[in-house]
Amino acid sequence: MASGTGFTASGWLNCRIGSFELDTHWEVGPGSVMVLFGPSGAGKSTTLRAIAGLVRPVRGRVEAGGRLLYDSESGVWMPAHRRRVGYLTQQYHLFPHLRVLDNIKYGLGRRRVAENSPTTGTRVEELMEAFRLEGLEQRYPWELSGGQQQRVALARALAPAPDLLLLDEPFAALDGELRRTVRRELRSVLSRAPVPAILVTHDREEALALGDAVQVIDGGRPVSYGPPLEVLGQPGQARVARLVGVENLFRLNVDSRNHRDGTMSCSGGGIRLEAPLDDTPRHEATVPSAVMVGVRASDIILASAEPVGSSARNRLRGVVTAVESRPPGYAVMLALLNFEGAPLVCHVTGAALDEMGIVAGQDLWAVFKASSCFLVDPDGRAE
Amino acid sequence: MLSGGVAFLYVVFIGLPVLALLVRAGQQGGFWDAVTGETALSAMRLSLLTSFVSMVVVVLAGTPFAYLLARSQSPFARTVDTLVELPIILPPVVAGVAMLMAFGRGGLLGPALEGAGVVIPFTTVAVVFAQVFVAAPFYVRSAKLGFQSVARDYEEVSQTLGVSPWATFWRTTLPLAGPSVITGLGLAWARALSEFGATLMFAGNLMGETQTMPLAIMTAMETDLDNALALSVLLLAGSAAALAAIGVAGRRRWTGRA
Repeated sequence: MASGTGFTASGWLNCRIGSFELDTHWEVGPGSVMVLFGPSGAGKSTTLRAIAGLVRPVRGRVEAGGRLLYDSESGVWMPAHRRRVGYLTQQYHLFPHLRVLDNIKYGLGRRRVAENSPTTGTRVEELMEAFRLEGLEQRYPWELSGGQQQRVALARALAPAPDLLLLDEPFAALDGELRRTVRRELRSVLSRAPVPAILVTHDREEALALGDAVQVIDGGRPVSYGPPLEVLGQPGQARVARLVGVENLFRLNVDSRNHRDGTMSCSGGGIRLEAPLDDTPRHEATVPSAVMVGVRASDIILASAEPVGSSARNRLRGVVTAVESRPPGYAVMLALLNFEGAPLVCHVTGAALDEMGIVAGQDLWAVFKASSCFLVDPDGRAE
Repeated sequence: MLSGGVAFLYVVFIGLPVLALLVRAGQQGGFWDAVTGETALSAMRLSLLTSFVSMVVVVLAGTPFAYLLARSQSPFARTVDTLVELPIILPPVVAGVAMLMAFGRGGLLGPALEGAGVVIPFTTVAVVFAQVFVAAPFYVRSAKLGFQSVARDYEEVSQTLGVSPWATFWRTTLPLAGPSVITGLGLAWARALSEFGATLMFAGNLMGETQTMPLAIMTAMETDLDNALALSVLLLAGSAAALAAIGVAGRRRWTGRA
């Protein structure tokens, strides 16, 4: 299975498509996965297509497998079929006129490798096994389930041992459970092949499960880069927070700082929150300052009566305005008492929803720890 | 009820003349003699030869052209696209006159061709010219639609798998567009085989040289009904074969299934 390169893939690109301008850069180590995260139209797919050689950039440089694939400076432009860059599309695009086995062998070449050479045979067998495709060799693509089609597409992309693997929302067409299964398989196959991979997604769970690093991209520019948990869990910028889907953001003023507990009291718009201490030096701490505080919907606990004797520092009372389905659970919108801002979004499971009988108009308490709050830079400066 | 009646009338209208042709040909008795007669054999040979050469020309030139039309988005390509279909609606006699005006002795290229010692009108080459002119659009149109139905993504994925654009065309684009390409070829061949007006104008009616089956039928109708009927039955068989080939090709459709 080893593609045997062990090289880092890196580069930068400047692309123009109509009035849209993409200006990006990346570096992915062998065997690691960089997640490209962002809203639709951010330039994620264009980045992949330009790296694969399917779109011609204005300027840039692309390196993979220790080879220079594109360099505007020295005029190097390698055509897509010489790049050794695997590319998996959202719809898989399995060749409908070829059986599963022939789809997987497609990129192994008829002339380069003899039809029944041991290398070809072993490699295909390994891939069939890794993606649990044995027994499906003679099927046509339309005779496969969505999950099977996805696995065949992955096996086909990996068969020619690419120097870089590009995955454009590879799980978008699959649902819940299947998505997680195929994801696990991909993770295990990637961990065995020292190939760098770039994965496009706008699914947080997917990014956290597969990414070694996350780059958030918006409006054609990278706005944040780092370990998945850091970037997607508690993003430091308002813009990134909105992009990665932090549901609740509050503009507040700092009332007092409690250095012993590492917390501070903030208030604004009629509510009061305990949040982690900011890094304002102690001698300046008397000056009141504005902060932006984020809370993830999944970090909020709902209670039907005011919780007493709880260690959670934040307890807010509100009225349910709406309940929406957010698979795998539900989102409850809570209009906070005396608060003029947007309703608080809280995630609950279906079981909790049923048990508490949550309906619109109901009086509820939202509870969360001070450490679930995180500070967001309201300016959203790009790094 | 009404639509059923109309359908019945339609079938009778199309079917009766075809049936009548077969019945009359069978009654004549001299079918075999007529088919193996010199006029018929020479017309058949010429029709098969010219339509075959025409199809080779149509496929060699029409395939890359159809592919370009299918993939190009320029306004120029769209204009060309419309022009390509002109011969389909142009009366064949007009096509024949137009070709005379281009390649004939007094035509635009006449002096140049004469200087090079090339004579086209009223030769077997003129028969091929006429057939290509009227039949090629049927092939180009169908093949173009076939190529358009193959999403670019397949070609792109193929290339990222290390397969050159040329090999991608043979291994993926052409097989996927295959049914439409074969349908187009069938239509074009049937059209070439039945070509009459343009051939008569531009190539004339010389036995053994430019007298193809439709021309032979017209000539025979004036003197020898047996011959005319025999040749008509043969052409009918040829058309039926083309139709069958199109039907078989149409059943294998890949695109849109996965």
